[in-house]
Amino acid sequence: MKIIDFHSHLQEEWLGRKLLNAKQFVEGMDRCGIEAACIFTLAGFYGNAPAENDRLAADSAHYPHRLIPFVTVDPKLGAPAVAEVERCLSIPNGRFRGVKFHSWMQAFAPSLVRETMIGILRCAAKHKAPVLFHDGTPPYSTTFQIAALARWVPGAQIVLGHAGLSDYVYPAGQLMRDIPNLYACLCGPKPGDLEYLLKAAGPERIVWGSDFGFSHWRVLSERLDDVLEATLDDAQRERVFYSNAARLLQWG
Amino acid sequence: MSFEPPIPPIIDAHAMLGAEYHYELGADELLRRMDAAGVETALVRPLGAELAVLNAEGNARLLSAGPRLKALVSVNPWFGARGIDELKRCRERGAAGLFLHPSRQGFMPTDDHVRPLIEFAETARWPVMVHTGTYLHSDIIALGELARRFKNVSFIAGFGGFTDMWFELPGVFKETPNLLLDASMMWGDAVEEIARDCGCERVLFGSAEPRNRYASVLKMLKRLELPAAGMRAILVDNAKRVFRLP
Repeated sequence: MKIIDFHSHLQEEWLGRKLLNAKQFVEGMDRCGIEAACIFTLAGFYGNAPAENDRLAADSAHYPHRLIPFVTVDPKLGAPAVAEVERCLSIPNGRFRGVKFHSWMQAFAPSLVRETMIGILRCAAKHKAPVLFHDGTPPYSTTFQIAALARWVPGAQIVLGHAGLSDYVYPAGQLMRDIPNLYACLCGPKPGDLEYLLKAAGPERIVWGSDFGFSHWRVLSERLDDVLEATLDDAQRERVFYSNAARLLQWG
Repeated sequence: MSFEPPIPPIIDAHAMLGAEYHYELGADELLRRMDAAGVETALVRPLGAELAVLNAEGNARLLSAGPRLKALVSVNPWFGARGIDELKRCRERGAAGLFLHPSRQGFMPTDDHVRPLIEFAETARWPVMVHTGTYLHSDIIALGELARRFKNVSFIAGFGGFTDMWFELPGVFKETPNLLLDASMMWGDAVEEIARDCGCERVLFGSAEPRNRYASVLKMLKRLELPAAGMRAILVDNAKRVFRLP
């Protein structure tokens, strides 16, 4: 079965913790049968996001059929943040296929940077690039805060990066039911949650992710089990693991 | 799931009975899942309304679930003396411990009106499992503070701070020797860190059924490649000791 990991972080070091380089990262993917992975920064949440975007693009250039970089910007910067998203998404051959925010770590409430965020979401919508946010954690990343963004720009594809994570899974399903341009990445919730999300939101808007890179390769296996141990039919499993992501990413 | 060397009958320290949002599990189905996974005994706690307000109904469900299911009974601390009366009834019926859910039940672990419940648990020699991981009320550091006040009580961090209190676990566990980790929801790296730095005797296997699955948690633990004695402690011996099971 083909699998796209819609949520991972490629960073060699973070807050003094040794993580993985691109080669080690792809080896982990191979070990667990992952065809391609969306790669996000960690350091770029705090520091020089454009430099991190360039670094991710360079990493993906070594593995063009495996690593799919997402852009990160600091929306507190205003117009330059919108311009950076445009720069990255406009790169010929479409190397960047999405935008990633972690508003908790990046220290912004979306409502406090509303105009900039709307500009970014419109830019992403123009390029048909999904915008994935960390969700499930107060005070800046509640699932409600992220879902609200989908209402601001109905043409944007907003992805709940953790499908409600621990405590927001039930509202995540309700919100996806009510907001057609809201998607969810199953990255953290458990098999019992996935069964519910599929019933609540239908089979087309849930993708799978691991947070790999931030953690040991074992997390890939653990997160795969969150799907494999759920009671799904083969078509549902295929959509969650691959075809929903491929459609969002215009992949393959 | 097999382990080498073979493990005695496994004890699940955290399963849930009843209904809450999209979760629903009855005793018969839980027993079926236990049999399929090779689990002999499960500690069960209530869900939903039976956890938040209808405590007597929830506790009755647990206590009548049969000999393989041991009750982690619950009362909402806001019920005051009535709650203590309910705990006395539960003790007479063979409850194995106390479960509290600060977020569902609306209190801070350090609130004064929680104290009588913990004092009762101490007298009954019950461990106390407290849900952790949900901001604001289920802060694992707050549970650590509670555990400091009751050093003779074994506290269990239910769900192990899942998810975004993972970075608080090492510090809290190093500083709080009477705190154990429920491994039912957390990822392997976090569980491994506590087992390595604080000892396998501080970790309990739990399933979080019906949210998580036996197979998922057992596979997670097996991938840690812990020493055989440590794995046995997590799957069997720690639960026997903490819940005083035969």
